[in-house]
Amino acid sequence: MKKTIITTVSRTALALALGWSASAALAGEIDSIAILAPEMGTDMGWNQQGVDAAKAAGAATGVEVVVAENLGYGDVRPTMRELAGDGADLLIAHASGYNTAAPEIGAEMGVPVAIVDSPDKLAAGTIADYTASGSDGAYLAGRLAAKMTRTKVVGIVVSGEPPSWNNMSVAFAEGVKAENPAVEVRYAVIGPAAYSDAAGGKRVTEAVIASGADIIFGEGNGSSFGMLQAVETTPAVDGGKAYFIDVIGDKTSIDKGFLLSSVVWDLTPVYTAMINDLKAGTYGSHNYDINLADGSLHLLKTANIPDDVWASVQEIQAQVASGAIVVEKKYDADSVHAMVTTVEAN
Amino acid sequence: MSLFTESFITTLFLGAIAAGMPLLLAGLGEQLSEKAGVLNIGLEGMMLAGAYAGFVVAWSTGSMGLGFVGGAAAGALVASLMVLFCVRLGLNQIVIGIALTLLVEGLTALLHYVQFSRSYPRLDGITTWPIWPLSRIPLIGPILFDQNLVVYFGLALVAGFAWIYRMTHLGSALQAAGDKPAALDVAGVDVFRIRSLAVLTTGALAGLGGAFMSVAAAGVFVPFMTHGNGFIAIVLAMLARGRPLWVLGGAFLFGGCLSLTTALQVAGVNVPTDVIQMLPFATVMLVLLIAGRKASLPQALGESFVRGAR
Repeated sequence: MKKTIITTVSRTALALALGWSASAALAGEIDSIAILAPEMGTDMGWNQQGVDAAKAAGAATGVEVVVAENLGYGDVRPTMRELAGDGADLLIAHASGYNTAAPEIGAEMGVPVAIVDSPDKLAAGTIADYTASGSDGAYLAGRLAAKMTRTKVVGIVVSGEPPSWNNMSVAFAEGVKAENPAVEVRYAVIGPAAYSDAAGGKRVTEAVIASGADIIFGEGNGSSFGMLQAVETTPAVDGGKAYFIDVIGDKTSIDKGFLLSSVVWDLTPVYTAMINDLKAGTYGSHNYDINLADGSLHLLKTANIPDDVWASVQEIQAQVASGAIVVEKKYDADSVHAMVTTVEAN
Repeated sequence: MSLFTESFITTLFLGAIAAGMPLLLAGLGEQLSEKAGVLNIGLEGMMLAGAYAGFVVAWSTGSMGLGFVGGAAAGALVASLMVLFCVRLGLNQIVIGIALTLLVEGLTALLHYVQFSRSYPRLDGITTWPIWPLSRIPLIGPILFDQNLVVYFGLALVAGFAWIYRMTHLGSALQAAGDKPAALDVAGVDVFRIRSLAVLTTGALAGLGGAFMSVAAAGVFVPFMTHGNGFIAIVLAMLARGRPLWVLGGAFLFGGCLSLTTALQVAGVNVPTDVIQMLPFATVMLVLLIAGRKASLPQALGESFVRGAR
């Protein structure tokens, strides 16, 4: 009996000691973080913004950043184990498809994880979500599109309906409606999670342009290059140029004169805050987001936007940033469909 | 603004052809392989190789025609590995097919990263060959008679394969290579050569289908852009059970349903997107299952041929 009590007490003490030392290490010693991206970090979109932001955050905080990219959308558990085993103090699972595996491997390997599209999984010290809502920026894009459209029809083309894109689709349609209720919004999904379907992106975008849209708001990773190709090769029904509004990344460097704008996400402040929270031992106490106020979310200015239009968009941006205009965050596909139908019925 | 204008309807039909053509070419190729007894699971990889090579050649030479040739050659090159490992060495066709697809996915993604990941070059609009005066017919003309050469070639190929399968000794030899390879061997026909030719032709057609996707349908190459079309083509070929015309019907039914889903969404039909997106898959499988229920696949499909083995 005595031996059992001693053993139990010893084990408890050992566990507490290990837990304390792990906690201390977690709170203070953040040497490296790892980001896992499903596609190459050169896609001028979601993956590139994530990888570039992780590197920038690492440079700003003196933390090494390990990049594991082009991992696809399958099972990434072995890669996560390897990265955790190599000493990563945080695993950033940069794909909604990883938000089941990451918490599992995080618990297994004792490493905090960051995930997307699962804000309800927040857990102190272990899990935080960064479902970035670009709705404020998309709202501005909608206001811009409604100001610029000649045909009074604009289109939304998406390669899937993940929450963050639904969020922007709704906000874009709201922005259009707020600016000019007479403008129709037409909406089409390329396919179920057709993130790399460039041919599908071009085919669907051509159809939306033929339906009358002269401005396309496109959300689609690799498929967005097909959307861009469609606006470059397909004139609008009035014979003039069709324009493209991108999301997340900045395609200015490859633009041939058809890029109107982009709702740019800069995740650097998000990842920097994560690292600082890890150092302070407060990781997992809250989720992370992007916003207009700190510049982590902004609308891209291109040469295709006249100065007077841009000035009025800037005024609207100030109203959104100050809270005078509130863009409600909705993440479900039904809200998108309802919004598009509502706008179309006007 | 009125939605269903002639321009919108024409674009939908052109979209259906653009979506169906890669499936038609790859599906006809797969059907040829299966006729000869080789289950070519590597079709996706062959398409992707064709998409990459076709784009690179078209972009670097400025010639879409050369791009298509380059795509077909790349598909045949990948198929030559299938010939080596499966036809000549008798290794498992499914394992090798999957391995080839994974190899090509990784290789093309890497090559794209090295070459294009900072510039993402895009091709100009596609060149068409109008058949005068049919191309002037309203609605039908632009859809059917003002197309890219590959589209005309694909349609001619359906008739060509139907003729070969029904009317020629080569067709009989292909059938025998898939059903009774030992009997064909006894008859003095080289089974290895028949199967090798079939697989190489499959690779060329799949590569051409992939090149059509990158050069004509998208005008750009992005990693993984074939997006499962190779596997859909395999399903089409299996459900069509040896009949080229059914591959044609299945491919364009699929493409047509994709365009229909776009039309429904653009029209604002408030049905869950998942339901609308299921339409192409459900329709094609239903039609081909009902129509093809009495047909059968080659008896020796997927089996290696070893001369003298019992």
